[in-house]
Amino acid sequence: MLSLWLNRFLTDRIARLHETSASSSPRMREDGEDAKPAPREARALVVVGKRGNADVLVAVDAAAENLGLSPGLGLAQARAMHPSIDVVPEDVEADAALLEKIADWCLRYTPLVACDGRDGLLLDIGGCAHLYGGEDALVADLSARLEAAGFAFSIAIAGTIGAAWAAARFGTPGRYHGGEERALLSPLPLAALRIAPATAASLARVGLKRIGDIVDLPRAPLTARFGADLMRQLDRALGYEHEPLTPRLPVAPYVAEQRFAEPIAREEDVLAVTERLAARLATALERHGEGARRIELTLFRTDGAVRRIAAGTSRPLRDPPEIRALFVERLAALADAFDPGFGFDMARLAVLTAETCLPEQIGIGGASNAAEIGRMVDHLSARLGGGRVRRLVALDSHVPELASAAASAQAVREDDGWAAFRRHRAEADLAPRPLRLLAQPEPIEAVAEVPDGPPLRFVWRRAHHQIVAAEGPERIEGVWWSEHGGPARDYFRVEDKNGLRFWLFRAGLYRELMPGMPAPAWYVHGTCA
Amino acid sequence: MIEELRQRLQALQRPPGLEDDPGTVPLGLGMVDQVLGGGLARGALHEIAAAGEAHMPTAAGFTAGVAALSCAARGPHAGRDDKSVVWVAEDMALAESGAVYGPGLIDIGLAPERLVTVAVAHRRDLLWALEEALRCRSVGVVIGEMRGGALDTVAVRRLSLAAAESGALALLLRAAPEGDASTAATRWIIGAAPSAPNPYGLGAPCLTAQLTRNRRGPLGTWIIEWSESDARFVLATHAQPVAQPVSHRPHRKIA
Repeated sequence: MLSLWLNRFLTDRIARLHETSASSSPRMREDGEDAKPAPREARALVVVGKRGNADVLVAVDAAAENLGLSPGLGLAQARAMHPSIDVVPEDVEADAALLEKIADWCLRYTPLVACDGRDGLLLDIGGCAHLYGGEDALVADLSARLEAAGFAFSIAIAGTIGAAWAAARFGTPGRYHGGEERALLSPLPLAALRIAPATAASLARVGLKRIGDIVDLPRAPLTARFGADLMRQLDRALGYEHEPLTPRLPVAPYVAEQRFAEPIAREEDVLAVTERLAARLATALERHGEGARRIELTLFRTDGAVRRIAAGTSRPLRDPPEIRALFVERLAALADAFDPGFGFDMARLAVLTAETCLPEQIGIGGASNAAEIGRMVDHLSARLGGGRVRRLVALDSHVPELASAAASAQAVREDDGWAAFRRHRAEADLAPRPLRLLAQPEPIEAVAEVPDGPPLRFVWRRAHHQIVAAEGPERIEGVWWSEHGGPARDYFRVEDKNGLRFWLFRAGLYRELMPGMPAPAWYVHGTCA
Repeated sequence: MIEELRQRLQALQRPPGLEDDPGTVPLGLGMVDQVLGGGLARGALHEIAAAGEAHMPTAAGFTAGVAALSCAARGPHAGRDDKSVVWVAEDMALAESGAVYGPGLIDIGLAPERLVTVAVAHRRDLLWALEEALRCRSVGVVIGEMRGGALDTVAVRRLSLAAAESGALALLLRAAPEGDASTAATRWIIGAAPSAPNPYGLGAPCLTAQLTRNRRGPLGTWIIEWSESDARFVLATHAQPVAQPVSHRPHRKIA
């Protein structure tokens, strides 16, 4: 369990921003001068936030700490002590976004990465350290990257989350083997147990200041006096109770990855690597009798950015060339957004969702119709986006716009509902329906006989139509059981003198008209052949 | 399966291309089918233009009717009769005319279960999607719906070649007729026509179909109706006066 504490995270973020754009960063000058910025070393940086109604210091950098400022100090007092300090308001979202990016960096070491508070990360490197040549090599790699990026940090590895956390923040950073937790924790203050500050304060009043003080005390009185949380955190830190790590991103059931000695940047190389990784996954998938429904390719750039490309399929897939073809379309769709920078030095292919997929007998006639259509749908969806390739599904509703819906073609459905719809149509003897239905009924100006007659003429989209024949009315009630349901509609199928046909309705009935209600209005809903 | 192997051997022995005859979709109208050489040729691209933007629904109805006939008619590969229909439409077309409505398709005779709809944002995505759909062997009809703007001849030729290779029926539905030459097998201009008076409500939908380009024979104009009971096109038999005084036609409605 590796705990990474970025001890000057907030100020480091601001410092990096200042280095990249010296002239445009927001800085409040304490003494009102607008001369050119003083050299970095001379000015101390503090981050200020509102706690209650007062401005207090939230974070200080090394120079400010040397001056005697510490988090929790009021801003007015700090200004009084040292007038020439840089004050920057805190930005919680920007901090969280940067922490997420660093967590993405760390995905290259292990998929089990969790954010820990505002300025820390937890990595479970239990089974992964050997891939980097041991825990020391892993820590060295991580340290080198963080130093190059300009972050101050401390790293501790221990057997439990609690012990690693305490060691990184309150103890000496380093590697501690399993079993050493007690020796590691005993000299540390009680705040290292991640308990509430109020509990720590009340323990201090009783004279218990270090973890070693409470480790051997009888548990029941402590629990009764200070709450169960204290003992639970102690048990977790010592390893008596297991504390699992909740990773930021769900862990995929099948993962294959490959690191490159020389970074790759060309699309063909990326696709070749994808096929090779897919071949490794195919053996694992076949052993379990499963196929992939959602696949994600994660590419780690040399400068730390992480690119994730996901593709979905309509049926479980195992075949490496087909997976490669999917990603050909995805990369074509990304085009400009696929920016390799200086190249990728690691690629990981993960199967996010897998489904049972029994091996099918491929006849001499080739794949079945369904498989062929599925492949075409997958290619179209990969290039255009899953929401653009759809099939029609019949829903159980008498309201026309809800009776038929378009659902993604990749989602496999047992029953489209059309058989049931045909039965209903035959039984209820529905009038003919239009070929095309507008997304929203469009209001028209119509002249019609009151109360029940079809329209004689109407204006739609600035075109006048004179009606020569009409069929109807077909009354379709609104959703009367819901308060948002609309009024009853009388549908008419009309033909104008040129032969164009429309499906119109009048929303609302004249005989139900009451004072204060809007008059029934006419709409066009669809067009018929 | 033996039948399929036999057909495969035959296909391999013959060089692919225009010599292959994947068959035709007969429209069910004697005169028209004769002019077309048996019907609309499969494995070819046909352009269907609406006479104007307002006539687009009629042209879409004609296209859907042809697709329904294609699915109903059995091609030379009799075993594979569960082929799909892919309808690719530009976002602009969907916004103006609305989406294809399932119950309406049932009325025309095209099963909504066979249909896959694709919405594209750009013209190049439309062309790519049409080619991708034509590449799939299990697709029987591919419909591409577009609005506005010309389609360059190179693109049309690519689509024709893709259609020829796949043996599917490719229909290009557009909102205005194009004047320049093209490599499409046939070109139609579809407009709405008044239907025959019917005491029970609206009669069969009627349209004018003008064939402006035909690789296999002469051109012509016909007034045809879609017969719902037979699920096919028939020639309209009622007289079509040029000018109809509207004020004299009483409204027919069903209580």
